[in-house]
Amino acid sequence: MKKTSIIGLIIIAIAIAAILSMYGDSSTYEDFSVAKDNSGKEYHIVGTLNRKKEKYYDPQKDANYFTFYLIDQKGVECKVIYHNPEPPDFDRSEQIVIVGSMEGQDFEASKILLKCPSKYTDNQVKT
Amino acid sequence: MEPIQFVGENLFWGNLGHTAVVISFVTSIFATLSYFFAERNALDTSWAKLAKATFQLHSLSVLTIIGSLFYIIYAHLFEYHYAWQHSSRDLPVYYMISCFWEGQEGSFLLWIFWQMFIGQLLIRTSKSWMFPVMAVLMLSQIALTSMLLGVKILGYKLGSSPFELLRNAMDAPIFKRADYLSKVKDGNGLNPLLQNYWMVIHPPTLFFGFATTIVPFAYAIAGLWRKDYAGWLKPALPWGLISVMVLGTGIIMGGFWAYESLSFGGYWAWDPVENASLVPWLILIAGVHVIIIHRATGNSYIVALVLILATFLLVLYATFLTRSGILGNASVHSFTDLGMSGQLLVFLFMFIILSALLVGIRWKELPRSAKDEEIYTREFWMFIGSLLLVISAFQVILTTSIPVFNKVFSANMAPPADVIGHYNKWQMPIAILIGILTAVAHLLKYKKNKEEALKKIGIYAAISLVITIVLFFAFELNNYVFIGLLFAAVFAVFVNFIILLPFLKGKLQLAGSSVAHIGFGILLMGVLVSSANKKVISINESGEALNPEFNNKENVENIFLKRGEPNKMGDYIITYQKDSLYWVNTYYQVNYKKLNAAGEVDYEFNLHPNGQINPKFGLVANPDTKHYLSHDVFTYVSSVPNGKAEAKYINEKVHVVGVGDTLFTNNGYAILQGINSNTDAENIDMKNFQVLLGAELKVYTFSKVYDAMPMYGVENNSAVSFETLVDEAKLKFRFTGVDAQTRKVTIRTYEKDNSGEFIIMKAIVFPWINLVWAGTIIMIIGFFLAIVKRIKDL
Repeated sequence: MKKTSIIGLIIIAIAIAAILSMYGDSSTYEDFSVAKDNSGKEYHIVGTLNRKKEKYYDPQKDANYFTFYLIDQKGVECKVIYHNPEPPDFDRSEQIVIVGSMEGQDFEASKILLKCPSKYTDNQVKT
Repeated sequence: MEPIQFVGENLFWGNLGHTAVVISFVTSIFATLSYFFAERNALDTSWAKLAKATFQLHSLSVLTIIGSLFYIIYAHLFEYHYAWQHSSRDLPVYYMISCFWEGQEGSFLLWIFWQMFIGQLLIRTSKSWMFPVMAVLMLSQIALTSMLLGVKILGYKLGSSPFELLRNAMDAPIFKRADYLSKVKDGNGLNPLLQNYWMVIHPPTLFFGFATTIVPFAYAIAGLWRKDYAGWLKPALPWGLISVMVLGTGIIMGGFWAYESLSFGGYWAWDPVENASLVPWLILIAGVHVIIIHRATGNSYIVALVLILATFLLVLYATFLTRSGILGNASVHSFTDLGMSGQLLVFLFMFIILSALLVGIRWKELPRSAKDEEIYTREFWMFIGSLLLVISAFQVILTTSIPVFNKVFSANMAPPADVIGHYNKWQMPIAILIGILTAVAHLLKYKKNKEEALKKIGIYAAISLVITIVLFFAFELNNYVFIGLLFAAVFAVFVNFIILLPFLKGKLQLAGSSVAHIGFGILLMGVLVSSANKKVISINESGEALNPEFNNKENVENIFLKRGEPNKMGDYIITYQKDSLYWVNTYYQVNYKKLNAAGEVDYEFNLHPNGQINPKFGLVANPDTKHYLSHDVFTYVSSVPNGKAEAKYINEKVHVVGVGDTLFTNNGYAILQGINSNTDAENIDMKNFQVLLGAELKVYTFSKVYDAMPMYGVENNSAVSFETLVDEAKLKFRFTGVDAQTRKVTIRTYEKDNSGEFIIMKAIVFPWINLVWAGTIIMIIGFFLAIVKRIKDL
């Protein structure tokens, strides 16, 4: 076999490994019911803030403890704990993506991505 | 109904700009066709003349578009949607430049400008290759200018015009009024994250880099078109290197901007937008290496060709990813869809099909080498290194494309929860191999030289290993996993330095390759040490929950600082001392006292992380960093109190002063300029007053001077005083008495109570991050030397 063919085969093998690794490491967008059934496993959950329930952040007591209630796309609500300060602009979010896992009754988020109505769509002329 | 005659609109610049867009689009079509036929009919020079004329007209119209748009922003013509959306009256001129590329239309315009500029260079330098190369470049220019058209054709909106009027872009009752413009007082303003000097220079550099990738692509297409399979490589090589240099500079500027002004705590986060610009760069570097290999050995022609073509296609793919809104939930960069994703896809496929068709048609004729590769040659290992770069790029673009796979296969994948871990597990081994190869390949001379080369490799590797072990302890790496990468970096730097030595005596311009590879080695070292030993120091190290209510022991990386109260954090005593306001940003002064082993203060410094409480974005925090040679202390404010609480004023002081006297307070001082008896203050009914006096004060704080005029009056025989707040100086003044005999007045001052003030802060130490910047700069110098040499070779 020519060396180029060997190299070619190795490259194909590595490419397949990269695809498998992407597939294996990728998380999935799920809802709370799936996360509750698989406690401790990491998921992305898309939802909206439940504005009727209090969110809690009191930096004077603990600057790294923020909780709120998220309603997922199936309408299931769950308490979310985030061990960081409340993200700026949290209240204006239309949609929230949280990354983390269920720990007991609460969802522990390690990351929060906010989808805010960007100013590009904020087509209100201030007069 | 009669059309409304709108008042106060300045339509001239919009009409001029829009006309220029249409002309630039039409001329790019004409120029493409003319260059095409000029190439086909070598004997008929009229095509060449027409091509040149249309290209010059095209260039002029591009400059006109830019001029009109800039004037619209500069003159605050908010009747235009673009100016209203992206700028505001209070912006300094240098940020108006950033407004230019905040919107998508502006960034396409930037790209168009650079491509036009490159075209101007090409018609002067590309000689016999001009016609086909310019034809390809202008084809890309058709695609880009069409993005600015903003006209509806058969119900489909082609492009988005930066000259659209506000009243056409939006639907609101106010636009039924002829005088609507007098009600539009100010624009939306520039995203505060972009209000940074790096955002003035980073996008132009990056887009210049993107724009340059068309040149090697155009040469490759021209080579296929003319069946001149070897000729295009020589002129394409310096252009490829220019592209590598500029794109690389643009990418690292983005990293530096992120590090200096964003609060995610680092220069690289494997964000899809960053990845999308990195991938074409990696592929182009591989392509440039394979061109060099081909020119030395005659092998690997097809690989070189495919990599050069792929670079530009990947730039288009990156544009599609970042501009179509497909990244949606995957990226912190929130780009919105302007409804142009269809158009972007059409261009992407247009260029993919063009490349694939040409390669397919010429496939059988493409040069191939029958002989097998020799293992003990520089070229063989350079080739392996290039393939590793391709694998690296492939892995990055694969994971970045997860949202695309979701769309195409209706899947439900999300990016890896541990993104950084996912990329690092692939990229770290690849970096180790590439680092080692840059050393090994350089030691294997062109052609065969087995024995001596192997001996050298062994000796240098042994020396590098010793240096690695010393550095391992010097950098306090503490984890043996890192030895591999550290060795690769040291080996690369050491060997390339040995190779550089003979060139240092004068022939430095031949040393571009060794300099660039030394830079790469230093960069690897910097990335390793700064990320492996990156340490969050604002951490709760007590092991106990700060507040038992929450049982919050882990992941607590933010510290609560009450104003004026010292806190211990790692080896530092930190104190939030005060804050001050400049323009729209509040700067929080944080004092750091570094303790030595004995617990005494070694040295101290102040950092001023700032935050802008933006009505649209909430708290926008910018970090501040203390730079030392061996480490950086990086600090940003992650939360501040809601400033809505009732302000309390304390520390009353009574000053009995005459004109010219000074009133001292803790927050600044004030000088009484004069007493004014002709006050015509609003909201005060003058007729009831027997006397009404105003004390004209000039208030001096550390940074600014303010005017204040507290007033004192006698109304129905009783004294009344009107207080004045100087909010930014945190002072309140009351004018409470007059003594006609001594000609002195009594003014009371009050200071704002700051006891409820605090910040939540995060601090990170990055050791040896300067190696990252130094390595990058050296690498870019290496690219530059290589470009100079390759241009001389032409």
